[in-house]
Amino acid sequence: MKQTLALAVALLLSVATAQTTIEFWYAFSDAPRSGWIQDRIEEFNAQLEEQGMDYEVTGERKGSYRETLEAAALAARQGQPPHLVQLFEVGSQLALDSGIFKPIGEVGGIDESAYIEPVINYYTLGGEVNSIPFNSSSPIIYANQDLMAEAGLDPEDVPETFGEVLDACEAGDAAGLEANCITFPLHSWFFEQWMSEQNALLANNGNGRDARATELLLDSEPALRIGQFMADLAENGWYSYTGTLEDWGGSEAIFANQDAMFFITSTADAGNITRAAADNGFAVKTGLLPIPDGVERNGVVIGGASVWLTDGHTTEELEVARDFALYMTNTENMVSWHKLTGYYPVVNDSVDALEAEGWFEEEPNFAVAFDQLLETNANQASAGAVLGSFLETRTIIGEALQRIYNGADVETAMQDANEEANARLAEYNANF
Amino acid sequence: MKDNAVFTSRVLPWVLLLPSFVILLVFIYYPALQAWVLSTYRSNLFLNTRNYVGLDNFRLMFTGPLADKYIQVIVQTFVYGALVVGLGLSIAMVVATLASQNVRGARIYRLLLIWPFALSPAVAGTIFLFMFNPDIGSVNQVLDALFGIKPRWLDTPLLAFSLVVLASVWKNLGYNMVFYLAALQNVPKELGEAAAIDGAGPIQRFFRITVPMLSPMTFFLLFTNLTFAFFESYGLIDIVTSGGPVGPPPADGAGLTTTMIYQVTLDGFGGSGNTGLAAALGNVILLFTILITLLQFRYGSRRVQYGDN
Repeated sequence: MKQTLALAVALLLSVATAQTTIEFWYAFSDAPRSGWIQDRIEEFNAQLEEQGMDYEVTGERKGSYRETLEAAALAARQGQPPHLVQLFEVGSQLALDSGIFKPIGEVGGIDESAYIEPVINYYTLGGEVNSIPFNSSSPIIYANQDLMAEAGLDPEDVPETFGEVLDACEAGDAAGLEANCITFPLHSWFFEQWMSEQNALLANNGNGRDARATELLLDSEPALRIGQFMADLAENGWYSYTGTLEDWGGSEAIFANQDAMFFITSTADAGNITRAAADNGFAVKTGLLPIPDGVERNGVVIGGASVWLTDGHTTEELEVARDFALYMTNTENMVSWHKLTGYYPVVNDSVDALEAEGWFEEEPNFAVAFDQLLETNANQASAGAVLGSFLETRTIIGEALQRIYNGADVETAMQDANEEANARLAEYNANF
Repeated sequence: MKDNAVFTSRVLPWVLLLPSFVILLVFIYYPALQAWVLSTYRSNLFLNTRNYVGLDNFRLMFTGPLADKYIQVIVQTFVYGALVVGLGLSIAMVVATLASQNVRGARIYRLLLIWPFALSPAVAGTIFLFMFNPDIGSVNQVLDALFGIKPRWLDTPLLAFSLVVLASVWKNLGYNMVFYLAALQNVPKELGEAAAIDGAGPIQRFFRITVPMLSPMTFFLLFTNLTFAFFESYGLIDIVTSGGPVGPPPADGAGLTTTMIYQVTLDGFGGSGNTGLAAALGNVILLFTILITLLQFRYGSRRVQYGDN
């Protein structure tokens, strides 16, 4: 049924345009980011036409990262894969194991040395680059300076550790601040980042990079520190979220509404938040991701997403697809992408270009992200974990944090989470 | 009326039934059979793997570290189902009885009451999500103005659960009403009039006449509503709560609004694509549904009153 429908649609399309279509599936739903992609597609198509090539790139939004990966896998099984798919970093192992993608290393034409090192490292497994880095980010803290002043805090002194956050929250309470202290999406991503900051592995076998990971390490000392932070915030009512896991927009709305003094989220929202702060009339200052007290800052996992080529197309189609992905992430475009969103410009040249034009002096809020990147040690903890059941693991960690927020014992919650995550991982690994 | 419509051919009835059988076979029986086969395999959506594992998928659900989660999900699905069916049918019956009175504009009332029928579960969920948004929803604005309270509808576990039940009841109200309104047309007026002459009040007439006379319809609606609760609640739950939040202990093994069918999609599509496990849970739902249906026919049908008996 679905196949017939897809066939019918494909037939209609092929009648309408004699050109070969290169499909690009992406996961952004907001107007600025998806609009930016559509603009690049139009430019690239104009170039193709000038060169007299009978190809046309089309971009299609497929929902969240999870949904995009599902859609791509199902389309591939039905023999209708798109050419390019934007996938999040935690889907890497799954994408690789699925066999529906073609490592960019095999297609060739990518200059690995052009990319920022921690970024290209994430997507390199077993010495081969699998996908083209596109949107990379890390979490930072955003502070509402007006609320900080109201709480009697120095608005220039953004907290850098868990202890400093808690102290600031207490000051907010003492000053009778109406707004809550801190919000961040209840999302495993932050947990993963806090593990990396403590130079702690999320999974064994070198975060799954030496060999396939077989066990998670969610009840380790560093993991418990993160759980304790959540418990401290919850106990005093200093944490605010919408109640839904992974609700990025919800937490952003809380901060934009001035209902929370601090907001931890992706550097990729620097653009959106700066605009929202201007609209709502408050000053915002960013700072490095606050980390547990008494640990040395190891740095963050440069997460985000990359663009994968799918198998099952002619070499020429794949080359056009690759050329588009490389065009989209070239020096000039990465500069404009960074300015629009706050995502890292993933190629070194674009960092140089931004420095040359004095962007970071002009926009110190965007510069914090780079400080964080520069301070990141390249090791297995900061390379990030790869495991097939990462998606379930994320839900399990999110639920564990929610349990702690609801008052559960930190150690029990993390042990239960670890057991559950191990069971899911074992189930996944048993496929091989 | 004399029943004189007799089929002369033995083949004709089968031929007439054929279209239905073909549809059932292709869209219901064959996929159901496949789900049973799939549940005995370790199968992954992304990897396209298929290894025979016997009953391991069922063992994974009911023993070991995941058992708490699955048992909680099953229990709360039953609570959810009982509430959706119980509340839904009671409210629909009362409202349908009221709406079938001969008052001015009764047709308009009926139309307004029936329209949720036309909504998809996802749309119903979206409406509730907007109405009950803790910060900007209309419900909390009214509550805040009247009583100065702003309940956290979406992250307080019991409130979130109640909200999902409420949304499901409302979503099904139109459907249930259509059937009850039709059934009420067939309740002979004389029964009510006779009872009224004998001195029965409106409430007594409702319980003694309307409820029993509607019982065949209730019997039918019981299944359709249960089917909704068991198999079709995904869209609504996904929009309103995404299956969360995790409940207070001991209900903290899973999101409190995660029903079995929601867990099926989480396992099959939400994580690393464990379709074998998802199929196994799907079959558990099917078994429960069959069991409840059998119990219903065994015990429930005795109390059903058909008018012409």
